[in-house]
Amino acid sequence: MEQLRYDKLQETLYHEVMDNGLQVYVLPKPGFRKTYATFATKYGSVDNHFRVAGGEETTVPDGIAHFLEHKMFEEPEGDIFATFASNGASANAFTSFDQTVYLFSATENIETNLSTLVDFVQRPYFTDENVEKEKGIIGQEINMYADNPDWRVYFGLIEAMYDKHPVHIDIAGTIESIATITKETLYTCYNSFYHPSNMLLFVVGGVEPEKVFELIRSNQAGKSYDKQGDIERIFEKEPEQVATKRKESKLAVSMPKCLFGFKEKELGLTGEAAVRRDLTTKLMLDLLLGSSTALYQKLYDEELISDSFGHEFNSSPQYAFSAIGGDTKDPDLLLKRIKEEIEPLLQSGFAEKDFERARKKKIGGYLRMLNSPENIAHEFTRYQFRGGDLFEVLPLYESITLDEVNARLRSHVDWEQLAVSLVVSP
Amino acid sequence: MTNNGFQHGSVAGMRIHVLPTKAFKTFAISLYAGVPLKEDTVTPTALVPFVLRRGTASYPETTQFREQLEELYGAGFGFDVYKRGDYQIVQFRMDTINDSFVQSKESLLGESFAFLGEVLTKPALENGTFRPSYVATERETVRKKLEAIVNDKIRYAAERCIEEMCRNEPYRLHPLGQRADLDGITPESLYKSYNSWLDGAILDLYVVGDTTPEEIEKLVKRHFGRSDAAVAAYSSNFKPVSVSEVRTIEEKLDVSQGKLNMGLRTSITYKDDTYASALMYNGILGGYPHSKLFVNVREKESLAYYASSRYDGHKGIGTIQSGIEIQNYSKAVDIIRQQLDELKRGNISDLELNQTKAMIRNLLSEIQDSAFELISFDFNRQFSGKDRSAQELLTQVEQIGSGDVKAAAESFQLDTIYFLTGQKEE
Repeated sequence: MEQLRYDKLQETLYHEVMDNGLQVYVLPKPGFRKTYATFATKYGSVDNHFRVAGGEETTVPDGIAHFLEHKMFEEPEGDIFATFASNGASANAFTSFDQTVYLFSATENIETNLSTLVDFVQRPYFTDENVEKEKGIIGQEINMYADNPDWRVYFGLIEAMYDKHPVHIDIAGTIESIATITKETLYTCYNSFYHPSNMLLFVVGGVEPEKVFELIRSNQAGKSYDKQGDIERIFEKEPEQVATKRKESKLAVSMPKCLFGFKEKELGLTGEAAVRRDLTTKLMLDLLLGSSTALYQKLYDEELISDSFGHEFNSSPQYAFSAIGGDTKDPDLLLKRIKEEIEPLLQSGFAEKDFERARKKKIGGYLRMLNSPENIAHEFTRYQFRGGDLFEVLPLYESITLDEVNARLRSHVDWEQLAVSLVVSP
Repeated sequence: MTNNGFQHGSVAGMRIHVLPTKAFKTFAISLYAGVPLKEDTVTPTALVPFVLRRGTASYPETTQFREQLEELYGAGFGFDVYKRGDYQIVQFRMDTINDSFVQSKESLLGESFAFLGEVLTKPALENGTFRPSYVATERETVRKKLEAIVNDKIRYAAERCIEEMCRNEPYRLHPLGQRADLDGITPESLYKSYNSWLDGAILDLYVVGDTTPEEIEKLVKRHFGRSDAAVAAYSSNFKPVSVSEVRTIEEKLDVSQGKLNMGLRTSITYKDDTYASALMYNGILGGYPHSKLFVNVREKESLAYYASSRYDGHKGIGTIQSGIEIQNYSKAVDIIRQQLDELKRGNISDLELNQTKAMIRNLLSEIQDSAFELISFDFNRQFSGKDRSAQELLTQVEQIGSGDVKAAAESFQLDTIYFLTGQKEE
């Protein structure tokens, strides 16, 4: 068991790699009643074409990672939710582009609940019948998102930007794509991506680290896994330019939704370099478009944006893009005004005092995030899967310079790389 | 009030509730201002916080206002307007990091109080009234928010169901008010509304963090500049509504998925001794993934992705929500009504009782780990006048048997079935 101390944050993290390759992290929070645990695999919606060392190249149906997440909850003896409920745990799971996370939160029976979590995720049970039944449920989940304009405008933007990369495929797939899923394809994905060496367990809350490690050690020792080689994820080459400049969907909305962003050209970053680029980009976007900027206030007073106006930056080694926008009565005028306002900033760069204030805001936001066990677990796992360390973010923020942020502004805001997604009423 | 960790006092016409603790990295501050929900005041009251967040005497420009929050290490600042029982509550929240994590010249807690005090009592004025430009823009903001409710069909259906069910009560009103009333609001009329709102509102101020009641009282005296008026308390005029027949409402909109909502009436409210039974009733019916609705509507019949229930103990209503294939309407209604009948007949297994108790136990214990959850739980006690700690409530829940749940079930009467369906004719 390795002990990692972060004095400035007043946190101590414990880490151990199990013999089968499973990464286990424990963050004790003395005084907390609750324990929150996540068991994550580095496997998400984009991993639809792959080869495990020594195996065959495989392509699987869209939406299968998410389908698999749903099906994991079913055990021969019934629904695992019932087992969690009997032990007072609230359980859930989610699938994103590049990970699938199973989780629970509980204030009692922690050891039992931890065993339940690890065991159910390590015990697939798929039958022809239970796979068919799930198609109706997920079909309704897909329909629910189809009615959600925020989801539609977000995915519309990714579809506008990406042509080949599977990030543009809806995480849940489509009614048609999930129709082709069988228990065999589910087992193929399970066996490829749920090997302990591709997974991370994070436990945070009122726990004693050594007890958790003991439990997991003996739990894992009781299961046999063959060594697994590297997983090669195969992606068709994605063109540098956006797939289409503008994409429009129809849905009844009170006002058009407009999301735009820039498709990043510089890819392949991992580890600290990737984290630094993410933090710098988010800081830059906040300086450019945040709610305290002159630009934001002007557009708000011109009634071109509302409180829904926001921005984010999403990245992985193979794709990276910003997503900016919200509700607007006039998408074209909004885009025109934003261009006009951003141009002079591209020349002048940001002012030192604005940069310092924005940095302070980010540091405060980061520290506030650490109040939440849920956020810590999710963010820590996300960072680890990219080779970064969530608890090293503070020194990174402190070392980012104004020149770096200005350089980021000029490289990211490239009008050639702009794509726009709209949702408008039919 | 018994000690639930909070120390209660009053100063400057406000009730003050302080929970000294070192468990969090921040100071959590919440200010609740409640007035009776009334048709003629609901809209101006809703608009007031929108104008207050535009500027104060010291930071009259919105950019200055927001820059100051960033200077406070990105202090979280926000507000909500919602209904509780027959009151309209405006809640301001601040979340400021504890100075010990950063190098700060000023006390961040003191600065936050100076800020919040001004927001409430010293707004930016022009010629002795609210700035016309702020009133005009925020009026549009509220209008857009009201119009945007229809964008999120799940929320829209839930609100329409309540509106229909409570059509003869103030509770039909949306907490953000009525669009038609916005036009008549002028800077002068709103400033008048603001003053009478502030004079009449019941004010509760909460702080959770590394501080003391003495420090908070001093800060309130210094920064809220209010006279030591008498402290008002909430009063309930709840009258049980008995249902003569179930109303069915169908509405057509452009949706892929039908949204089925039901509203129920109960005579049991938060302050009753049978509240614990009503909580158990809701938990067994549809509060969790082991509940009857989830198991029967989703897992057994694959009709829906979500199927759940909620219980509002302040208003004495229960709600059910599910998203279904449009042609499955009758089937879904039948299955849901069967679950209601099962509970009325007392068909409740020990397993359901035990699982639901464990989940409620978990929920009540988890409150301890979140500053804002602690605040909200205590506010419910202040609001209802019911002196019952989380521990006491838990003890009551533990004692509930199937007979108690059956008795609670008899008090829940189906009142309204609302179905949001597609525009295409079947």
